[in-house]
Amino acid sequence: MTVMTDSAADRRLRHKPIDGWRWAGRIFLVLMLIYTIVPMAWMLITSLKTGFAAMMYPPQWLPAEPTLDNYTRLLDPKDTIGQDFLRYFWNSLWVSTATTILAVLVAVPAAYAFSRFRFPGRNFLFFAVLLRNMFPAVIFLVPLFILMRWLGLVNTHGSLILTYLTFGLPLAIWLLKGFYDNIPIQLEQAARIDGATRFQAFILVVMPLSTPGIIATAIYSFIGAWNEFIYAATFLNKNDQMTLPVGIQRFFSENTTDWPGLMAASFMMSVPVVVLFLVLQKYFVRALTEGAVKH
Amino acid sequence: MAQVILKDVVKTYGGFYAVNHVSLKVADGEFVALVGPSGCGKTTTLNLVAGLIPISGGDIYIGDRLVNDLDPKDRDIAMVFQNYALYPNKSVYKNLAFPLQMRKLPKTEIDSKVMAAAKVLDITHLLERRPRELSGGQQQRVALGRALVRDPRAFLMDEPLSNLDAKLRVQMRSELKRFHQDLGATIIYVTHDQLEAVTMADKMAVMNGGYLQQYDSPANVFANPVNMFVASFIGSPAMSLIPMIAVTRGTDVVLTSAEGWELPLSAENGRKALKAKSDKVVLGARHSTVKLHKSQVPGSVPSKVYTVEPTGDITFVQTFLSGALVNISLDPTSRVEPDENVFVEFDQKRMHLFDGETEMALTAA
Repeated sequence: MTVMTDSAADRRLRHKPIDGWRWAGRIFLVLMLIYTIVPMAWMLITSLKTGFAAMMYPPQWLPAEPTLDNYTRLLDPKDTIGQDFLRYFWNSLWVSTATTILAVLVAVPAAYAFSRFRFPGRNFLFFAVLLRNMFPAVIFLVPLFILMRWLGLVNTHGSLILTYLTFGLPLAIWLLKGFYDNIPIQLEQAARIDGATRFQAFILVVMPLSTPGIIATAIYSFIGAWNEFIYAATFLNKNDQMTLPVGIQRFFSENTTDWPGLMAASFMMSVPVVVLFLVLQKYFVRALTEGAVKH
Repeated sequence: MAQVILKDVVKTYGGFYAVNHVSLKVADGEFVALVGPSGCGKTTTLNLVAGLIPISGGDIYIGDRLVNDLDPKDRDIAMVFQNYALYPNKSVYKNLAFPLQMRKLPKTEIDSKVMAAAKVLDITHLLERRPRELSGGQQQRVALGRALVRDPRAFLMDEPLSNLDAKLRVQMRSELKRFHQDLGATIIYVTHDQLEAVTMADKMAVMNGGYLQQYDSPANVFANPVNMFVASFIGSPAMSLIPMIAVTRGTDVVLTSAEGWELPLSAENGRKALKAKSDKVVLGARHSTVKLHKSQVPGSVPSKVYTVEPTGDITFVQTFLSGALVNISLDPTSRVEPDENVFVEFDQKRMHLFDGETEMALTAA
């Protein structure tokens, strides 16, 4: 009998107050979903319209005559627009990938050192690393431009890669340090006693455990570089060097804007990010929620 | 297997001495327990032997080799960690094989050694599992397996049983002891649990504040603690320590209490008491050597019962005496009530006397 009354009380407890909150939560989530999805959907819909249909008022919610022309034009290397778009895409891919690889290569040992070694100035250095991310990016625009000109890097992709690293690295180091902090040091000690050098212990035991963290860090760096606009617009002014965020501005001209073309280009631009996310999302979620290997 | 020798070993952090001039010799095949409260330097000492932290002074020998500057991998030792430190992304088989792979043994030899170790520890059916799929006791066995798979010169164990539940701990304790006997392994075993040390070890090294307090067989440490720390740390319930003042009355030495009662000492104990630096002497007595009387008998002193704790086999009674608590073990049929006025009698042959100033044991010699 007591069991039944207990469970009845439990049920009442579970139901009454929490349900209200649960519904509020669901409604909030739905609103957030609409807020994020509607612009994406509108982008996709517009990209499937002809230039004329895109300008119609009242707007067509669904294109009456959907067309893939805008996409075929962008992907056609013989078309002038396609030529430019593919070059921008390639430039973006190269700059983002190089940034990501360099960020991970530097961040992995740096984060490990911050996590494991006690050296003079450690706290100050770690703070200094984060300091860079406490200011809005624009503040560094002019100083970095002067620096890049002095280095002779203006109008090269190197200027962007270096600049993106100044944003991406601190975050990457910070994220990865949290990861290494959560890997018990006894694992490395065990490996060293089992016959591994310090470096082997790192490569064979620590690295595999920090893979989710490295992947999350890589995605962060990649997306940051992929989407960046201001520095790319400032440091580059040659058409054949531009990255996508700057390049797709070419669809705006003085008098007319090719909305369907712009939307198709925007959609294509979001593809690599979405693909990255879908393929690696299990690591990404694990990195942000768990942050560690439970032992 | 090999002997392990620590000579005047020191580890400092800044000005702090974590290990303060510790010397001890672990003979080949001996099971030595490093025991002490947390922060006493026992784990630091073990890590120094393992080579996981650099030594600040002194020498460590494993076998005949001076290993001060050797990497852990070159010391040919095995270690079992408190949290087991199993490689979470490797199967049990690969965990056991790892130390052999690092030593570049041929595959067939690795396989036969892993299977042999797994058989000894009865974990053959777990070889394909990941560590997180194992119970605490099974993880413990795998950790032990990884240590014994490669026949090292010495085993280092850092509180290997402390993460197990009470019942499993007792079971693994006897298995470890059996394992030591069968293999004749040199084992250095760190624990804060004096019972583990007493039950398993050939010798125990009691540490406190970075210093080695006493290094002897458990029986000797129990019977002749060198100071008040060792006396109170080893044994459960702890040895009762009662602060007294020694007074000479003609040829006799008498301990006087602030409460007014007096305890005449035997001739031998009298000589011991007079060795103290001042008149402050601490009387030490184990629970089994103290008798409790309902009425006064010669040599007994008045006391008041504080608590009565029946455990089934034995009833433990605590009484107040001169501001200290005295533990007494009684037959479970004894009837004693809290706050009852009783009389306590000490055994002159089995009592301990300590210098109230230096806290060192007083000896007749």
